[in-house]
Amino acid sequence: MALFRALLHEWQLVRHNKAVMLVLFGGILFYAFLYPLPYLHNVAGEQAVVVLDEDKTALSRTLIRRVDAMPQTRVQAVVPSMQEARAMITAGEAQGLLIVPRDFQKDLLLGVPAVLSYAGDASYFLIYGTVVEGLLTAGTTLALEVQALRSVAVKETKAPLVAQIQPVAVSVKPVFNAQAGYLNYVIPAVFVLILQQTMLISLGSVTVLDRQARAITPPSHSIGVALLARFILFVGLYSVFAALYFGFFFKLYVVQAVASWLPLLALSVLFLGVCALLAMLLGYYYSAPEQSILLVLVSSLPLVFLVGFAWPVTSLPIWLDAAVNLVPARPGILGLLSLNQMGAQWQQMAAHIGWLLVQGCIFIALLWWRVQREANIRLGL
Amino acid sequence: MHWQVLTHSAWMRALNFWLFPLMLGLVVVIFAEGTPRQMPVAVVDADASVESRALIRHLDASPALDVKWRYSSMKEAKEALRTGEVFAVVAIATDFQEGLRRGLSPEVVVFYNSQYLLAGKLASSALREAAAVYSAKSGAMLRIAYGQEALSAVAQAAAVRPQMTPLFNPAMSYSHFLGTAIAPALWQLFVVMASLLALNWRWQQGPLPQQRMALAKEVFYTLGPVAFTMMIQAGLMLLAFVTLLGWQPVGHVGWILLGLLLMLLAIQAIALLLMVVIQDLVRALSISAAYLAPAFAFMGVTFPRHDMPALGQFWANLMPSTHYMAVQIAVADQGARGVHVLGALGALMVFGLLALAALWRLNQQSQQEETSHGTV
Repeated sequence: MALFRALLHEWQLVRHNKAVMLVLFGGILFYAFLYPLPYLHNVAGEQAVVVLDEDKTALSRTLIRRVDAMPQTRVQAVVPSMQEARAMITAGEAQGLLIVPRDFQKDLLLGVPAVLSYAGDASYFLIYGTVVEGLLTAGTTLALEVQALRSVAVKETKAPLVAQIQPVAVSVKPVFNAQAGYLNYVIPAVFVLILQQTMLISLGSVTVLDRQARAITPPSHSIGVALLARFILFVGLYSVFAALYFGFFFKLYVVQAVASWLPLLALSVLFLGVCALLAMLLGYYYSAPEQSILLVLVSSLPLVFLVGFAWPVTSLPIWLDAAVNLVPARPGILGLLSLNQMGAQWQQMAAHIGWLLVQGCIFIALLWWRVQREANIRLGL
Repeated sequence: MHWQVLTHSAWMRALNFWLFPLMLGLVVVIFAEGTPRQMPVAVVDADASVESRALIRHLDASPALDVKWRYSSMKEAKEALRTGEVFAVVAIATDFQEGLRRGLSPEVVVFYNSQYLLAGKLASSALREAAAVYSAKSGAMLRIAYGQEALSAVAQAAAVRPQMTPLFNPAMSYSHFLGTAIAPALWQLFVVMASLLALNWRWQQGPLPQQRMALAKEVFYTLGPVAFTMMIQAGLMLLAFVTLLGWQPVGHVGWILLGLLLMLLAIQAIALLLMVVIQDLVRALSISAAYLAPAFAFMGVTFPRHDMPALGQFWANLMPSTHYMAVQIAVADQGARGVHVLGALGALMVFGLLALAALWRLNQQSQQEETSHGTV
């Protein structure tokens, strides 16, 4: 009963705090619309390419038509000089460049290696990758066709035709995110990070405010009961938010989700519980509620690249990689991605669950120590 | 100038002096590899022949790849892919060697983890490249085996040679590509945080002057010191780009510094308006978090701006960092001259109008306060 009253009391604290309500009910929804916004078209579309045609033959014109027809590229202009091509790229009118060398047709038909030069604006990697993929595919297929025709006509070797053109056929297939789209890549991971970061702000500021209130007026509930009630309240609220994110918003953005609800709920609650402990612990280090926002603002962007979905974990220095294991979002994101997007079994996530449990133990111990210390200070011990 | 604003709290000292260099260091360390190396991949070698082992050695020799596991079944490999242990799996079928020697063009399938899009794509293109070299080699061997003369066999095994040139970022380095975008996005957050804290400090010091010019001067005295330390941090940032990220600006750095200064003024104008309208530090910080924390995604560096939906492009335009980044990339990477970036610089100046609106409102507020005091 005491716990129930404490729960109501904690809810009153939250409800009357405009800033916290803004984060909980404004921020969570706002971010759910804002973060996916840049990626709604999911894949990078046609990129403009400028062509410098030094060959001016039937074959070079075929190549240009092929490049224009690729889903990744369209030909913006065919220009006579390198200078003009450069100017177009600098002005942002084209993102890629294809140079068809003099004697391209002649060389190909004679069986002399011809060099096709591609260039893309590598200040933007996604554009570069798309441009190169389009140009390379168009160029290689055309070359293979010409080579096949020539092999049939010239017969220099008795080696089978298919082996002359393509000794080993390499095919590349994306798994889990079939379109290799950006929404599927960014959203499932960033949503988990948003849950952690907004929890650090809201629960962190509620905790620091309660600490300050306790120092002035006698509290209505003992600190142990109050913290437990607050923990239950926030994990409960955030479970609803998580259901909204992983249920409704994943459906809305057509993000693939394969886990059944029970393991998903269990892992989410574990993750949210650890986040709540960290938020309360940090609440014991702040001296004012705004500090929770400052900490989140400073840490969010680096965390995107540290937790392991945007930048490979294997490319981080070992010490940094190890340190990030103490942030709930690391096992939270990697675990939830494995479970819900990549279809791993519950048992295969022992490492992620283990890290969450280790973090939980550390945060509880530190929190208890801080709570005791503060109580002793207040008693003047 | 109220220089004491810079040191009045631990957080102000952190934001104005030591935390940004520390975060710069962190960004440098994260991308220290430049391009990811030794990415873990797995092979399922059902053939287990001389040729299949030669192919695997070829893949492992690529600096981007580390053939970490060899599995006997696809099932185990898929598990490793699911748990994120490897970024890609190469499947070699049972008849690989026979197919290759008989010239039947045997298939090698690469499955890459597109959930980790960047790592997966990098691993798959490294695999594709290494396999293509191996393929060309065995093609030449095959032609020689069929009696073609070695020289022409080698020439024809690779009839078209693609030559790829990454413009403006010749080393294809991620530290250059991402680091030089993340740092300005972080700097933007530092400027808005420090400016809001500075204004809040001044609000607590007592009433603002009534007279319009005096009021503007007071705001200037409060934000000026922050602008000063932040410009020093920005200079430090450019220095770190040059010394640690291999950034070599082609165009004139003056335009970039001008861009940074205008971006700083734009953010301070936003901070002033937020503080004046909301009149509460915590909520003003909350709103600026909602507004500017996602700025990096809208800069158009990771996902092209012209491929965003109209609403996304509109939102991107509302953030100073988007316009600054356009200046930085155009001038530093593409060597654009000043005239090309005047549009973006002008857009940054438009944010200055917010400062005028904020000052006007602030003046109104302080006069209302005066009259309410008068009636009491």
